[in-house]
Order: sequence, then structure tokens, then C-alpha cells
Amino acid sequence: MPRACFKFALVAAVVALAVPAHAELTFSDPWLRAVPPVSPAMAGYVTLNNDGEEPVTITGVSTPAAGHTMLHDMESTGDGSRRMVHLHHLEIPAGESVSLAPGGKHLMLMKLTEVPAPGETVEICFHLKGGKDACTGFPVIRQSQTDG
Amino acid sequence: MRKLPYLLPYLLPLLLAFLLAGCGKQESDLPVNTRLGGEFTLTDQNGEPFSQAALNGKVTILFFGYTHCPDICPAVLARVAQVYRQLQEAGEADQVQPVFITFDPERDTAAYLKEYLPWFKANIIGLTGSLEEIRQVAKQYGVVFIKDQQEQDYLFTHSDYIYLLDDQGRVRKLYPADFTIDEVVNDAKSLL
Ligand SMILES: [Cu+2]
Repeated sequence: MPRACFKFALVAAVVALAVPAHAELTFSDPWLRAVPPVSPAMAGYVTLNNDGEEPVTITGVSTPAAGHTMLHDMESTGDGSRRMVHLHHLEIPAGESVSLAPGGKHLMLMKLTEVPAPGETVEICFHLKGGKDACTGFPVIRQSQTDG
Repeated sequence: MRKLPYLLPYLLPLLLAFLLAGCGKQESDLPVNTRLGGEFTLTDQNGEPFSQAALNGKVTILFFGYTHCPDICPAVLARVAQVYRQLQEAGEADQVQPVFITFDPERDTAAYLKEYLPWFKANIIGLTGSLEEIRQVAKQYGVVFIKDQQEQDYLFTHSDYIYLLDDQGRVRKLYPADFTIDEVVNDAKSLL
């Protein structure tokens, strides 16, 4: 995808941030880590901000790009190993933010219909307790600044 | 655990001294780690036997992982690729070899690695083998991995160090998965 297109996608994502579907949950710096086209899964990162006065609980995540999407956390075992664990829900206290970042909590997109290429943007929806959805575009990035 | 606060004033200067010692030495008196490493033979992405001896004469960046892990492993691969590209720009990439060893031979077959690795554009050699062979190599490098059945999929619990080997295959330094690219580049250069 041409660079200009990628920039447009980024701008679109920023605009999407400015007009959130639901005032309680907003997104900062969403991105998906680009992986080789043969990959079966990919990871996504974002900072989730709860600007409301009530806690927000995420009960699930979905995207048309993947057959199965989960919230994962990283757990350290005593011997220097790490493992991923399924987070069944994630609560964001009122006025606080939770970061999904490399090596920690992350979105896991599995059973990808097609691996999106760097520059593409994938719409991901967070299902909230109470029945609402909050969605935003995640640009696919080959290597992020926040990632070193 | 209770005793830690009392020990802290004594441990802290020690720790600092350690860190400072680490900072000063960029030239390469990287110590040889005699506890880890050694000979091995696995299968490369072309399905050919690949022995550790083939790496002699090159500085090797060795790391373990599995391609079905989307978080840490592609991040490490991408960062190793960045190290490689920096060395390439310095004209020294031909003396450096990145090597990826999977601990998921069931899914990371030679054919799959051959499709997966070129995307990173870092001339990475991918090694697979039988589970026993890989277990043996992992043991030599002190790598822990446990297959972890989760719902319909399986994952691995694993340690994720990156190893810098000198041109004789000796382990000279270990890095965490979130290593600094410049640090590895400088260390690799110091061994050339
Ligand atoms: Cu995960």
C-alpha cells in the first residue's frame, strides 16, 4: 500500500478517536503488529481510556478480520518464562486507562481470514458489559516506535 | 521476603556496581559463558541437516521461539532483523548470522519456516527438528519451554533470551526479549 494511503488510514484512525461511538471508552494509539502472510495469528495493542464516571468492563472482542479474537495477558512463571493467558474480562475503572502493550496485555487475532498487510487498517470492536460495542480502526504497522 | 527491606541498602550498591561495570565495557571483553551452548545438529528451512559448526567464523544471533506466537516472537524477530539491517548498513552483515530455533516442530516445519522467515528480510536461518533434538539444544542453552494446551489451541510457556555467539560458537552475551537494538549491534561489532 502506498505511503500516502497509510497516512490517510492513520488520519482516519485519529478522526475516529475524536468522535467516539460511546463517550465512556476511548482509544489511543491502536496498532496491529504486522506478521508474515502465512501467520495464523497476530497481536494488537492500544490504550483503553475510560473517560466516564462508571467502570467499563470489556467482555469480549471481535473483528471481521479474524475468526476468533481474545484478550490475552502475559504471566510470568518463577523460572524466567512467560506465558499467555486468556482474559475473560477486563475492567477499566472510571477515569483510568489500561494499556495493551507488547510483552503485556494484548489482543490476539486468531483464525485470520487473510493476514492484513502493513498499511491496512482493521476494524476491531470491544463488547462492553451492558451490551454496547466500542469500535476503532487498528492500523497494521511493521514496527512501532513504542516497540523500540 | 520479610528480610528484603533490610538487605536492600546492602544489595543496592552491589547492583549499581554491576550495572556500571556493564556500561563501561563496550569494546569487547564480553566474557565467554562456559555454562551455555555447544554443538548441535538440527534441520534448516531447506530440509537440510544444519550443524552448529557451520556457524563458525561468523558472529551468531541465536534465539528460540515459535511462529504461532503473535506477541513476543514476531517482536523479537523484527528486532533481530533491525539489528541485522543496521549491521548491513555498516557493511558487516556478511559476518553476522541470525538463527531462529523453533520449539514447535509440529507446526514449524522446514517448509513453513521457509515461507515465514524471508518476510523479515534478515537472512535468518530457521531451524527445526524432532522434539527430542530441540529439547536437547534448548537444554544446552538453558531455555525452558512447556507446551500449554489452551482451549482449541496450544501455546508455549517459554523463556525468551537472545544469545550472542562469537565466531567460535561460544556464548558471549544474553539479552532479554526487549533488548536495545544498538546494544546488540555494538556487541556484535565488538566481536568481529
Ligand atoms: Cu496472546
